[in-house]
Amino acid sequence: MTGSQKMKINGVAIDDTFAEAFGMSGTALIITADTLKWAMIAATTMTGFGTSVIGCGAECGIDCEVSASETPDGRPGVRVLVFGFSPDAILPQLKNRVGQCVLTSPGSACYNGLDSPQRLALSAGPRFFGDGWQISKRFGGRRFWRVPVMDGEFTIEDTCGVTTEAVGGGNLLILGRDRVGLLETAEAAVAAIARVPDVITPFPGGIVRSGSKVGSKYKGAIASTNNAFCPTLKGTTKTELDADTIAVLEIVIDGLTSKAVSDAMRVGLKAITDIGADKGVTRVSAGNYGGKLGQHHYHLKDYVA
Amino acid sequence: MSGLRLRLKSAPAGRLDLSCLQPDPLTARTADEVARLPFEDGTLGDLFEITAIADANTLILAGPTSACDGIGDGLASGTLVVEGDVGQYAGRFMKGGRLDIRGSAGDYLGAGMKRGLLTVAGSAGNFVGGLLPGEKFGMAGGVIRVGGDIGDRAGDRMRRGTIVVKGKTGAAAGSRMAGGTIWAEGGFGPGAGPLMRRGTLIGPKAEQMLATFSDCGEHDMVFLRLISRFVAAELGSLAPPPLPVKVRRYAGDMATIGKGELLLTG
Repeated sequence: MTGSQKMKINGVAIDDTFAEAFGMSGTALIITADTLKWAMIAATTMTGFGTSVIGCGAECGIDCEVSASETPDGRPGVRVLVFGFSPDAILPQLKNRVGQCVLTSPGSACYNGLDSPQRLALSAGPRFFGDGWQISKRFGGRRFWRVPVMDGEFTIEDTCGVTTEAVGGGNLLILGRDRVGLLETAEAAVAAIARVPDVITPFPGGIVRSGSKVGSKYKGAIASTNNAFCPTLKGTTKTELDADTIAVLEIVIDGLTSKAVSDAMRVGLKAITDIGADKGVTRVSAGNYGGKLGQHHYHLKDYVA
Repeated sequence: MSGLRLRLKSAPAGRLDLSCLQPDPLTARTADEVARLPFEDGTLGDLFEITAIADANTLILAGPTSACDGIGDGLASGTLVVEGDVGQYAGRFMKGGRLDIRGSAGDYLGAGMKRGLLTVAGSAGNFVGGLLPGEKFGMAGGVIRVGGDIGDRAGDRMRRGTIVVKGKTGAAAGSRMAGGTIWAEGGFGPGAGPLMRRGTLIGPKAEQMLATFSDCGEHDMVFLRLISRFVAAELGSLAPPPLPVKVRRYAGDMATIGKGELLLTG
């Protein structure tokens, strides 16, 4: 962790540091259903267990609701984003997640949600569930598959766009002296970030309480608790925390573009400083690895002008 | 690049192959240059009165008759507007662009078409979107819209693409069809879909339905919404009203692999 506190807004100190993020690949899907409720159920299920690419294979989340007038089939929909190390790494995740969570969800359909010349074979797994009864229909430049299922047909687009310009790991660290107030502030920041298009906050409720460092004393563990940010270890380890800090929460941001992540960092930080110190937030920082690992650096000072 | 209007000076005495009239190469030239181009035993200027128009990359062909064949054959880009009737093979092997026929068309309209938009204000003959003897497949893409009725065996060996007919089809629409969609607002004539392997026929009714089509019941399928929206986007004001939520599905032709379908909206 680098940086020192130089700025203070509304009683909240802003570290002069930066979030270090990594280049990733990302795709977007639009999931529709008879009602928004069922589109959201399918989307929520499909993006479950998608917090970290390390342990989950992909980082997934809901970008936004899509009105019926904007979806391919005129039904209410939800746009989900899926991020991975590469297009090849995303593909098996799509196959499993769409196959197990969208195909199975009543009344659902699944479409491409990202315009990009580079494509992923979205239907490559789910369409074969049709056991030969699947039907291909091509309308204009788009090909769809109709897979017979017990409530009628599951419709899925043949391919979806994928970008290799995505960014994973934008982040904000919120430090304070009141754990409940800290959580409320983090929730407000996540809500503000949710309004930014093309980004997700993939952790539970958008918030991480277990920031990690690279490596471990144990063989086989590639990451372990970030002891420098653990308040209960303040007296036993080299700490990055102030004396009155009793909790730290992190918001991790993945976006289809660097600009989207940058926009999310800005609105997230603004939401935190707008609330200010009243909820017990004392400081905002960001996680990095000294700038040597990630290609994308988001400096907090750029967002407080 | 501006456009050109070619008005036929007199009705042709015999059949006339006009497949050479394409917007892309012709509209790059002036009216005088086009008039001097050789055509049959003379020049285009002998046959047509040629004037420049403002519409870019557009060729207007005025006054043709049903003796004029091959109009828009292989059209790849630009817009070709025909003010009159056309003969056989109009829009055959179209690869792009737009062909608007403001009269009626003969047989083999859009046969082997691959991409683009082909509209006919009047009616069309047999084998719309079909194929000629010796060819392997019929229409493979694009959209054909006919304002009136069409003849027999529309979509013969059709693979992909969409045919929308405001009127009704003749006999045996979708014969030997391997894919694509025929949407007949006025319904299908006798014996639709003989030896149909895959593909979709949509209409309010079908006369003398083949015994080899099996009733699969009434269903609301998401794909109906997709095709309604696609056709509306492609055809604008020419598009039929959206399909109803539910249609009755008949699978066929069970004399082959039975993966085609006849969807009755009525």
